[in-house]
Amino acid sequence: MSSVKFRTLAIGLTSLLAGAVAVAGSATAAAADAETAYPTPLAAETIPNVRTLPAIYPNTWAFLNFSSDRIELRNVGGDAREIEGQLQARDSAMLLIASTRPELYVADTVWSRFTRGVRTDYITVYDTKTLTPIGEIVLPTKRGLITAMEGMFAFTDHERMALVFNFTPASSVTVVDLVKRKVLGEVEIPGCSLVYPTVARGFSTLCASGTLLTVLLGEDGKVTARSESKAFNVIDTDPLFTWSAQLGPVRYFPTMLGHVQPIETEGDAVTVLPQWSLLSADDAAAHWRPSGWQPIAGDGADSLFVLMQSDAREGSYKDPGSEVWVFDAKTKTRTKRLRLARPGSSIALTHSAEPLLLVQGGERLDVYDSQTGSLLRSLNMTGFRTRMTIQPVPGE
Amino acid sequence: MVKVDRFAERVLRAFAGRTSRRSVFTLLGSALLGAATVPLLPVARGEDVEPNPGDPNSGMQPPQTSGNPQDPGDQTRCDYWRYCAIDGSLCTCYGGTVSSCPPGTEMSPITWIGTCFNPADKRNYIISYNDCCGGVLWGRCNCQRNEGDRPVVRPSSNNEVTWCFGTQSQSYTCSTAVILGVATDTK
Repeated sequence: MSSVKFRTLAIGLTSLLAGAVAVAGSATAAAADAETAYPTPLAAETIPNVRTLPAIYPNTWAFLNFSSDRIELRNVGGDAREIEGQLQARDSAMLLIASTRPELYVADTVWSRFTRGVRTDYITVYDTKTLTPIGEIVLPTKRGLITAMEGMFAFTDHERMALVFNFTPASSVTVVDLVKRKVLGEVEIPGCSLVYPTVARGFSTLCASGTLLTVLLGEDGKVTARSESKAFNVIDTDPLFTWSAQLGPVRYFPTMLGHVQPIETEGDAVTVLPQWSLLSADDAAAHWRPSGWQPIAGDGADSLFVLMQSDAREGSYKDPGSEVWVFDAKTKTRTKRLRLARPGSSIALTHSAEPLLLVQGGERLDVYDSQTGSLLRSLNMTGFRTRMTIQPVPGE
Repeated sequence: MVKVDRFAERVLRAFAGRTSRRSVFTLLGSALLGAATVPLLPVARGEDVEPNPGDPNSGMQPPQTSGNPQDPGDQTRCDYWRYCAIDGSLCTCYGGTVSSCPPGTEMSPITWIGTCFNPADKRNYIISYNDCCGGVLWGRCNCQRNEGDRPVVRPSSNNEVTWCFGTQSQSYTCSTAVILGVATDTK
């Protein structure tokens, strides 16, 4: 075996040497040809030089949160430059993208000696155009260290405030004034998890008792009212995924066994509406169920896109799905069934007029036409092994 | 049997925060992939597929066994009986053992437990999946099972949460699987 390898090596080196001689022989002629073709040399370039981004990003860009490794800004709408920039992220980092001012916010946790030393929880304020940090808000060291997911960090009060979910393992929410860049206070939410910006100033949170707790806040960030729904989340057998898609005043959560749970906001009132099924009898018999990490997206109109898996079983609800089913939320019917080129774990829709369906599956981010389901392009994310949160930019 | 299942359901699963730990796999995967693409002349082609060190079943780890036939299996592999409800990096791949943290880390006293069936003595054991915290982060021997896992709305049944509480650092390193005792049949 080793003698075969040696012969192969010898042949390879001989070929390389022969090639080198041939190149040297033709070098003079080639230089003369090049000077004729390009009589003027390339212009000298400026140093230093840092690229800037548009103040308002194209709506075919999306942030990809690599779950505490980095957050990348990618152009998913074209085949030219894919990566536009990246933001630092260390542990359970979550991003908020402002649409009312040119700022981005990343809530993160670090230790002074990498994995030990003094813990700091903080929000970094980034300038949208330069991606440089322009401010920082230090938080109580209570952030929930959980795989990055919806509900850990949310805007409220028209982006004036941010809400940070804490888990110590007692649950609470840190209320932050993003404009004044200071912490306003803390709201205890015993037995409840995550924050959803259902009301204008305040939030709803999912409780282990199966209820939804809604908390209203005053301008100072203090609690003004609390209301709790009846229990509806059957956590033992058919729990809500903690991911949702919002269409108008209604937020839709898929459930493990294939229902969808609408939750409607009207002013400061949050109502748990009746669930409806995503499945026909045949679908149920084939054990089709929602699955994946980020399994639902809304198109801003009436359509819900849900990542689905057949032959689902206990323990498979975070596994990749093979199809995306599209539902009309008004008629509660399935309108399309998109077969994916490869199984996907996280899905999202861009905010463009013709939304692109983004599907992260393993080390690829596949971009589909959300209407036809045709695969437009596939972006490479070599080495990606974690769970991804996809956040398309509001953009224009 | 239903009662046993219910008991198992009640005491089982969840555990551990995979966020920070998972990030390591991304970095490590990239590094290794980079290494794999270094041109090595034609002679190196052939042994192509680079094993993924994040996969505990890749065969990259030398096996670790207890030497006791009553505690069978390779403790560096995901299919070892005590790991039935684990989700994280196995401490056996980091210088620890199945029941001890690697040197330089701290064991979290707050944890999640599971009930696992020992195929040798046919008993169910209560297993405590204590996380080890504050050590070196890198991606090796990731073992993830979601059976019985529930969304984070019930944190004690959720394996996305980092269970490094009561330790000096809350930065995750790896997970152990410690025998607490024999599970009592509630029948």
